[in-house]
Amino acid sequence: MTDSIRNITRTNISRRRALAGLGAGASLVAMPWIARAADDTIRIGFPTPLTGPFAAEAKDQVKSAELAVKQFNDKGGINGRKIELLVRDDKLNGGEAATRTLELIEKDKVHAVVGSLSSAVQLAVNEVTRARGVIYVSISQSDTINEVKDFSKYTFHEALNPHMTAGAVARHSFKKGAKVAHLAADYAYGHEMLRGFKRAQAEIGAETVGEILHPFGAADYSTFMPRLRSMRPDFLCISNFGRDQANSIKQAVDFGLKQQAKIVVPVILHNQRLAVGPEVFEGVVGGANYYWGLESQLPSAKVFNDAYRAANGGAIPTDYGAYGYTGLSSLLMAMQVAGGTDTDKVIAALEALKYDVAKGPQSYRKCDHQSVQSVLVLESQKKADMKSDADLFKVVANEPASEKVLRGCTELGFPA
Amino acid sequence: MTSPAFAAPMPSSVRKPARLKSLVTTYRVPLSIIALCLLPWLLPSKALAVNVLVYGVVAVGYNLLFGYTGLLSFGHAAFVGAGAYITGIAIGQFGVPWYAAVLLGVFGGGLLAFAIGALSTRTRGIYFSMVTLALAQLVYYVALQASSWTGGENGLRGFTVNKINLLGYDVNFLDPVNKYYVLMTFAALALWIVSRILNSPFGAAIEAIRENERRASTCGYNVERTKLLSFTLSGTICALGGTMSALHLAFVPLDSLHYHASGMIVMMTLLGGASSFFGPFVGALVFLVMEDVFSLWTSHWQIIVGSIFVLFVLFLPKGIWGTFLARVMR
Repeated sequence: MTDSIRNITRTNISRRRALAGLGAGASLVAMPWIARAADDTIRIGFPTPLTGPFAAEAKDQVKSAELAVKQFNDKGGINGRKIELLVRDDKLNGGEAATRTLELIEKDKVHAVVGSLSSAVQLAVNEVTRARGVIYVSISQSDTINEVKDFSKYTFHEALNPHMTAGAVARHSFKKGAKVAHLAADYAYGHEMLRGFKRAQAEIGAETVGEILHPFGAADYSTFMPRLRSMRPDFLCISNFGRDQANSIKQAVDFGLKQQAKIVVPVILHNQRLAVGPEVFEGVVGGANYYWGLESQLPSAKVFNDAYRAANGGAIPTDYGAYGYTGLSSLLMAMQVAGGTDTDKVIAALEALKYDVAKGPQSYRKCDHQSVQSVLVLESQKKADMKSDADLFKVVANEPASEKVLRGCTELGFPA
Repeated sequence: MTSPAFAAPMPSSVRKPARLKSLVTTYRVPLSIIALCLLPWLLPSKALAVNVLVYGVVAVGYNLLFGYTGLLSFGHAAFVGAGAYITGIAIGQFGVPWYAAVLLGVFGGGLLAFAIGALSTRTRGIYFSMVTLALAQLVYYVALQASSWTGGENGLRGFTVNKINLLGYDVNFLDPVNKYYVLMTFAALALWIVSRILNSPFGAAIEAIRENERRASTCGYNVERTKLLSFTLSGTICALGGTMSALHLAFVPLDSLHYHASGMIVMMTLLGGASSFFGPFVGALVFLVMEDVFSLWTSHWQIIVGSIFVLFVLFLPKGIWGTFLARVMR
């Protein structure tokens, strides 16, 4: 920069003008947040990982949650109060989720929080809502959140937990004396699923012939496959989530593991099956909280599917998407019973609630606020057997809602 | 001024009476503190403002090593994370009062920085970066494995500080404004300390090393020891940032130790300008506000933020604050 230019810039900007400019800039930045009118809308925060490896599932969660909100608003809201859903991207990061939840509570003054799609992230949200006495309905799998150490009387766990999911899948696939090899993602979800499977195996009498942990988000599984083959298992149990599931199953099939063993996953994901195609997933067995095909057996599933189709241009709801609907519906139903957003009344209403909005009867267990619900076991269909592009799975079993498939309250550390 | 990327913060034109600039430089700490006092009222949310404080402190601490000593570390997340974890564990598992836990976190993080610094400052250039990266990943995996202490992948929780006692008054620490101003005190302290360090003979010594290591050692400086001290101080400031984040979120995610977090610190520093005292703080501010605001608008916020980064790197190599100082303040 030459001296002449320096002089020009220096004379042009006086301190007064700089200050005036700064002030104007600051007020411009602050404007949208100052103008926040007090109103009686019921606001519900919804942190979910819109970006990152679970984005597909997260977007379905949002669509389903929006449907539930729309249905209540169309019926006139709760006590005449409209409901507003505030969706936030938690970036699949606990710190980000905690910040977003703080913002939702402190700035947006939400009446409740629903959401998250990872064990760690829901525990972060849980920590924030617990300290501030805000109701939280968690809609992703975790065993830890049921345990007394992380229990919050404000938190309700709408999703299945690894113990019940893995247990159901194991009961409907393993036989006594079967040899099971495990490939699990090396993080909380994988560990908890692995634990759930091994516990069910012990009851059934199926033997573990080996277990391998793979890093979260791995793209290459080729080094694990020969080791898994050499274990000569009857079942290959792959406990991972999102894109990892599609990648690992694909590579297991490429390595010929399907000829040797049956592939079993704790949660078989609608979106991942769509991402890879029927040939790869053919015969893979896994658990699920929801499958649209239930509509032939369950009237509530039919009602949910039809409403979802109407709202989303004929698209069908997916498994993790349905959590958004069931979780939000249960909360809004409880608010309706409570006649508003009074925290204690809504908690009491949630604890007493019996609801069937999509997948058969559900209720929250008193001790740990876990949703007692049915667990599906699905098998991916052969391409020839598919009646339509959406006809992905065959329902192998539909375990009815029962507290028996959960860990007991005393085992979780609650007083008997 | 041999290296343009790390141009010194001091004006080269002392001959000219650049009043505003010299005022800003002389009173950089009080001015920074005034800016910090106003910050929560200008940003979309208080939670975001505290995050800016945390990462501002971290970036300023990091810049002591990067911008002023000229050492590119890719492992500073380890010190941020260590500070956060130690504070969390001290409060949650040992019932240590919050202020003592902060001290423990800072001290522990500093100790870790000393250890990692002692190993890594023996190397230079890209090898230094790689060694810091590797050692920091070591810390990450230790935290992942020691899940009975750290909560493993689920993150550390169960140490929420609800209220604190300040000079006999009970302060509700869940209140965002109280929390901000308490933590701001720490941030202000950190800024003052860094400013003092830079103004001291030691500050001149690290800049001498950055400009020409051999000449500095010929002048009689113990280069090894100065680098190690700079590394340790930098890590200690970052650890303070970590303890603040632990108090803020009442949660320590395992991701806070990941090399992504280290990369983010480098990015913030470059964005704001590594050549100035306050630049990294501005970088943290802009980085976090961009993420926050754009992700509210669209789920494709990464495209916008990414493009802005590219533009900054191409057209503002001195960073936002560095360019501002160079253009406006002269």
